[in-house]
This record gives sequence, C-alpha cells and structure tokens, in this order.
Amino acid sequence: MSLRVSELVNEDASLISRRCWSDERVYALEKLGIFGKSWLFLGHESQIKQPGDFVQAYMCETPIILSRGQDGGIYANINSCSHRGLPVCRADHGNTKRFVCPYHNWSYSVEGNLMTIPQETEVVQKPDKSQLGLKRVPRVEAWRGMIFGSFDEAIIPLGDYLGDMRFYLDAFLNRFPQGIEFIGAPHRWVLNANWKLPVENQLGDVNHGAFLHSSIIPKEAQDMIERLGYSVVTTPGHGATFRLMPEDSPIDEMAWGMEGMAGMFGGDEVQNYLREVQAQAAERVGDLRARMKGLTYGIYPNLSFLWSNTSFKVSHPRGPGKVEYWSWSVVPADAPGSIKKTLRTNYSSFFGPAGILEQEDAEVWVQQFIGSNIDFADDRPYYYGLGLGEEKPHAELPGLVSVTANEFYARHFFSRWRDELQAVEEML
Amino acid sequence: MSNQSLATSPEEQRALERFYFHEARLLDNRQYQQWLSLVSEQISYLMPSRVNVQVDNRARGNEDMISVERELEDQESMGCPIREETYIHLMVRVERAYKINSWSENPPARTRRIVGNIELMAREGDSFSVLSNFHLYYARPGNEDVIYSGQRRDTLLSQEEGFHIGRREVVMDYANIAMPTLGLLF
Repeated sequence: MSLRVSELVNEDASLISRRCWSDERVYALEKLGIFGKSWLFLGHESQIKQPGDFVQAYMCETPIILSRGQDGGIYANINSCSHRGLPVCRADHGNTKRFVCPYHNWSYSVEGNLMTIPQETEVVQKPDKSQLGLKRVPRVEAWRGMIFGSFDEAIIPLGDYLGDMRFYLDAFLNRFPQGIEFIGAPHRWVLNANWKLPVENQLGDVNHGAFLHSSIIPKEAQDMIERLGYSVVTTPGHGATFRLMPEDSPIDEMAWGMEGMAGMFGGDEVQNYLREVQAQAAERVGDLRARMKGLTYGIYPNLSFLWSNTSFKVSHPRGPGKVEYWSWSVVPADAPGSIKKTLRTNYSSFFGPAGILEQEDAEVWVQQFIGSNIDFADDRPYYYGLGLGEEKPHAELPGLVSVTANEFYARHFFSRWRDELQAVEEML
Repeated sequence: MSNQSLATSPEEQRALERFYFHEARLLDNRQYQQWLSLVSEQISYLMPSRVNVQVDNRARGNEDMISVERELEDQESMGCPIREETYIHLMVRVERAYKINSWSENPPARTRRIVGNIELMAREGDSFSVLSNFHLYYARPGNEDVIYSGQRRDTLLSQEEGFHIGRREVVMDYANIAMPTLGLLF
C-alpha cells in the first residue's frame, strides 16, 4: 500500500486527511504505534476494593480483567484462556476466587495464575502450569486511584506520562477529602464512528457547544465559557479546558456540581454539600485551582473526563469505523449515599447513552465518519488551522494556553499521533 | 406485586389499551406536547442500566439465579441507571424536539411503536400498576434502522380526564447498546 503517514498529517498538523479516520491500514498502525505503546486506562481502585474483586476493561480491542489479588495487589490480565482462547470471565464485575473457562474448565486464580487443568490427571506428561497463566499486562500503575496498563514494558512511569496534566486532574480529584469513586458498571455503547472523534471532542472542543448544542445550552452559559474559558495543552495529546472564575464569584457560581440537573433541582442536602466542598477547595487545592471550574479533559490516547457532568469515558476502537464507548459516573467518595445518588444524575441527564447533550455528539461522530469514508475528496483534507501558533505559556497555568476556539489541542494530538505512527510504519 | 395479573373487566382492559394505543400514536406522530399532557408533573421516569452479572453459585437451581432483576442497576441501587428523570427533563426533551437546531432529530426519526402484553398487576385507589411490552422501529436518514425492545412498568393515575403516567420504569432489552440514543420517549 502506497499511503504514507506523512501524507496524512502535514507538518504543523493544520491539515488532517480523511484517511486518518477511515483507513484499515492506519488503524493497524494505530494498534502497533499507539495502543501497544501508551498507558491505557483500565479502571479505578474504588471498583476493586476487596481481594477477589474484578471488573472488565479493554485495551483497544483486547479484553482485560482488572482485579484485586488475594495479596491486595492490583492485577491486569488478558481475558483469554491459554488453552483455546475463550474469555474466562463473562461478568462485568464481581468477586471471585477463580475464573473458569467454560470449554474444558481450566481455572485461573484472581491474580491470573493457572490453578487446575482437569484433564492433566489422565495424561503422563504434565503441562507446566506456571507458564500457562493468563497473559499478564506487563506494566500496571496507578495514580490517585486511577489504574492504567501498558503493553510496552519499557514505557516511562505513569506519573511522568501524565506530566503536568496531574496539576489539572488534581484540581478535581483532590477537591474531595477521600477522592472520587466510580459507581456502577460502565454504560457501554456502540457507534459507527472513529474512536478519535469522541477523544478530540473532549480534549478541547468546547467551541462546538455554542452551535451543536444550542438547542439546550443557553447562550449566556456559552458566552461565559468564551469570556472565562481557557484551553491548555500540557503534553501533546493531553489537554484541559476550564473556566477560571473571578475571585469575587458567588460560591454557587463557583462550586463544582451546581450547574448540573442534580445541583439545580436536587434540593438543599446536595446543594449544601456542594457549597461545603467549594468552601474547603482553596485549602485542598490552592486558591487558583479552587477557582477552576472545569469543562473537558483528555488523557492521550483515549481517556476523557467531563468535569461538570462528572464522567470518565474511554473510546475503545472496534475498527476504523466503529467504537465501543464506555462511560462511568463519578462521585465524591466521602459523600453520603443519598447525595451520591442525586449527583449521578448530573451525568446521566446530559451525558451517557440517553444524555440530552450526548445524543447530539453521537450524531455528529457518526456523520463525521460518513464524510471521512467518501471517495474523490482526498485532495481536501480537513482544516485544523484555527488559531495556528496563537497558544502561549502562562505565568500560573502549566502548559501552553489559549482561547477555547484555538484548535491547538487537536493539532498537538495529531502531531503526536503522526509521529507515533511513523515510528512503526515500516513494520506493516 | 403478585406474579398474576388482576382479573379485569373487558371495559377496564379496554380503557387501559385505549390509553396506551393513544399514547403510542401521539409519540409516533411526534405530538410530544400532547403526550406531555398525559404525564403527571410528579413523574419519575426511569431506565435502569442492564449489566452482565456474576452467577451466584449459591442460587443455582433457583429461578433467582438468572432473574432479570439481578441485571438491573435501578434507582435504589448504588450503581448508575441510564435515566432518572423528572417532569423537567421530559419537558426539556419535548421542547427541544421543536427547535430547528436539535440536530439528532433533524430530520426526525420515523418510528412505529407496537405496544402489547398489557397487564394490570395491582390496583390501589386511583393508582394502577400496569406492565406493557413494546417494540419500537426507528429509522433515520444517516443511521442504520434499529429496533428498540423493552418492558414498561407504569403507575397510572386515574383522573377525571383519564389516565396520567405517575411513574414509568423502562427495562430495555440490550446487551451492548447499539442504538443511536436511549433518550427517546418510550
């Protein structure tokens, strides 16, 4: 095949080929160069508190079991039997001593070690079970309870990979005395879209809100985003958008959670809780970050976080034109159960598979793939040049900073993407 | 709730059917504002999330082992239901449908609802617990056609002008959610 990666993304990443989104070979290179080499989000420690607890996850298309071992350690193994390859875990989550393959009942410990081969008593030469455990994800690390795995044994430590993005993540994660908790199984749905567009959408594209979502988002809210909004890229591929509220803002305008349905209509109990969190925010995260009111975050390659609607999302590819999109509601771990239940509607009202806003996003993600899969238009790459070169360092905010209309978050993503694909181009 | 539906008179059964068929026609004809007038302002409109649960060994041999209820993350659970909506949510959805920039409904979907298996499960004063099943065919330009299938667990309130929906829980039949949105009025 003659298509070169250098033809997909130009030097300053202001022109992006339609084939980035729709080509089978590009997708094969993404698996090698990105999903085989990055830290990929697996889950949160709150999902596997007790020994034996497990949840399912994916690394690209590869199914993973994330578990808490009997020793209290965190384990990630590929969910595929060493004998004939079947998944050995079928439940979304649970607690178990053994995973058992349905085919011949080979069984594995929660850490992934092969424990029994029922047939081995009938044969003379016994297989070496110590070599036949589930394939372990070679690198697993956690930061602030967020667990990531990598297939690249030589990858840099997770903390370094996240880099200055930790400053922005902490503005949220550290706001609560006991951090956050993921509740329930992820909502997972399948869309005929490329995995990168949901990522790009939540890496920094708050500008579409005023247009795509104008049937729901009031103009005043959008104007405020433009007035107080910042877009930041800490490392190419990682980004954050947020409002920096004026110091004299009323607490109800500043506080996380107030602008969602739960905050607006959830009653005194939840509102008082949110005010209390905000009142302690400066002490916990400092004056500057106490005034941060986040919008979207992205962690390369495919983890997203929505601050006001409080959801973590992972865009799992299923081919160039299909994505299995996962999202979780996230709540403060210290909140009473009744408040957690109310706060989860800040997510589900607007996002998730029934979300009033997300239905518009899903619509354009699907339509964008249609446009990316057409013929006779390869001489017309997509224009990604808005605000080219206008991002700058900032005295207080780590990273490069600009207005939210500047598409530098996407250019940085695609520069990294291009370089990582080029590094493996000769392998295919 | 007993597992047996109540014996109903033909008139009572017909009144329930008449309500549900009218409701389905309003929704298929996109007369959502008229539909909203069938909804109590105190409504809870719920859709549990449906998960793949671990088999409980101790429940083997019992119907409980594979009960539908075990698969539901509903309002009472500490999981995350897909929808937990009030009248305000439904009002927003209805108003949105008549704006020119509600892009996921522009052009609007062509839908056809078939409602059946209408069972009156309990009657308490003016309040009726009613189960019904639906298949909803959905076709929209630019999307693959899909069929939504599910059960509705309603509390209908009998009032002078007819029934009002006081509570609705929609149990969807999905494994992976392969529909463009679960935000329709089911």
